[in-house]
Amino acid sequence: MSAALPVPVIQLLQVLTVALGAPGVTGVIAKVEARLQGRRGPRVLQPYYDLAKLFRKEALAPEGASWFFLAAPVIAVTAYLTIPLLIPVLTTYGLPLGYMGDILGGGFLLSLASFVVATAALETGDPYAQLGSSRAKTFSAITEPVVLFVVFTVALLTGTDLPYALAATVRSSAGQVIRPAHLLASVALFMVILHETGRIPVETHTGTNEFGMIEEARAFEHSGPFFALLKWGSELKQLILYTILADVFLAPWGLASTRQLGAILLAIVALLAKACAVGCVVAVIDDSFAKLRLFKITEYVSAAFLIAVLGVFTLYLGGG
Amino acid sequence: MSLASAVQAAPGVYEGVANVIAAAMLVIEFGMLRQALARDQIRLYMAQSALISVLAIVIAADRNLPDLYALAGLSAALKVVAVPLVMRRLLGRIDPDIEDEAPGVAGSQTLSPASAVLAGIVLAAYGFFCFGTLKIHGPAAPALALALAAAMVLVSFGLMIVRRDVASQAIGFFTLENAISLAALVVASGLPLILETAFLFDLLVAVVVFGMLIRAHHVRAESLSTADLTRLRG
Repeated sequence: MSAALPVPVIQLLQVLTVALGAPGVTGVIAKVEARLQGRRGPRVLQPYYDLAKLFRKEALAPEGASWFFLAAPVIAVTAYLTIPLLIPVLTTYGLPLGYMGDILGGGFLLSLASFVVATAALETGDPYAQLGSSRAKTFSAITEPVVLFVVFTVALLTGTDLPYALAATVRSSAGQVIRPAHLLASVALFMVILHETGRIPVETHTGTNEFGMIEEARAFEHSGPFFALLKWGSELKQLILYTILADVFLAPWGLASTRQLGAILLAIVALLAKACAVGCVVAVIDDSFAKLRLFKITEYVSAAFLIAVLGVFTLYLGGG
Repeated sequence: MSLASAVQAAPGVYEGVANVIAAAMLVIEFGMLRQALARDQIRLYMAQSALISVLAIVIAADRNLPDLYALAGLSAALKVVAVPLVMRRLLGRIDPDIEDEAPGVAGSQTLSPASAVLAGIVLAAYGFFCFGTLKIHGPAAPALALALAAAMVLVSFGLMIVRRDVASQAIGFFTLENAISLAALVVASGLPLILETAFLFDLLVAVVVFGMLIRAHHVRAESLSTADLTRLRG
């Protein structure tokens, strides 16, 4: 019989799991992707080495950039590390700080992080960084309605918009899993996540080809530890979005329902396994579809929007 | 139907499966709306027809209606195999030089894909809420599936309207039949088998008629596009 952990420790573990697991998940995805393309691929631990190397390097700022340029990566990572406090990462029961924000609160933090990074990119005067931040803002405005409708579906399903409540509802019966509203909302969210993490439809998340560059371009002028923070930030964002998809929508099983050490450790392993599974699906999708041209992005988003709207529709007749 | 009743009250697994299949059919209908090539539209039609056969099997198993197994088999044979085969051969024979695409089909949209989808959402919402207020509950019917069928009927009309080529219009008409079958399955799944198969033969007639239309139009216009026909008005 293992000892029960104090609640603050569990809360801290949620953040640490996401913070330390994120580069690993990225490494696994890169490996799977390379394998699918017939390459050997980098080591799974490569993202950790990259971060370690960058943290040791010198940091430079462009001439004329203000303090904000250097503060932005710190603010962004802080915002990303706050989100794991709000969503069910390891436990089925809400932790004390879990109720300080709902799904919208998490969404605000994600947009805050993206906003400060875009503003820092504007400070530099580099055309590529500005192009990236301009595109990122434009496209996030397009995907916003989809996210809103997913949140509406959640709110209609549970009567609240706390992520813990939805996870509990999904766990409660098989009928909750198989209702169209839930499945449609999950699919729409998955499509948004594909777009947000720089996969399908237009972006090549690893390349430096400016036609398909959105997120990657914004960090062009950053260097050293600040560049490392930005890289780490985008890995954190990816794992956070996968966690929301897996632990709230698709598979809220394997979470710890007690405060026992063993259960918590099991939940950590389960979370990372689920994130890697989602990542493998993402890698397969990314490798098997052609990228779209940049301005075709509205077609992709309109498909996601359609699915999210249908989710809300089906709920209105009760049976959804 | 208050909003509060929708909250928390999950339908059973059977209703859930039926509704999910109906929703997937509607999503496929939207897929046809944005798909540019006739080849891909036929593929989507096959998927949609396969889904409705699966739904027939689900209803047969749950409601103990052995007739429906026969119907499922028959409709799968006809709509998943025969009709797509006939359509493919028809489009292939029109111009054997062009390997995979008949002339005049690609680029026949009058609306951009995103606008077509938005227009489709409006149509679907109209059908959906109209049928929602009717409150029809059949013995086997999840009310939702019926509303989804109504939305599918309207969207398939939309598909026929926004596309300017005969092939897509034919596909739109066939999916209309799928939507009607869905509604029939949901509302009157206990219907005698002979009546249900009669619907399927209606589809055969439609295939023959559309096949003749497609060929006649191609002979006259050398293309499947109906854009030229606007000049014919007196």
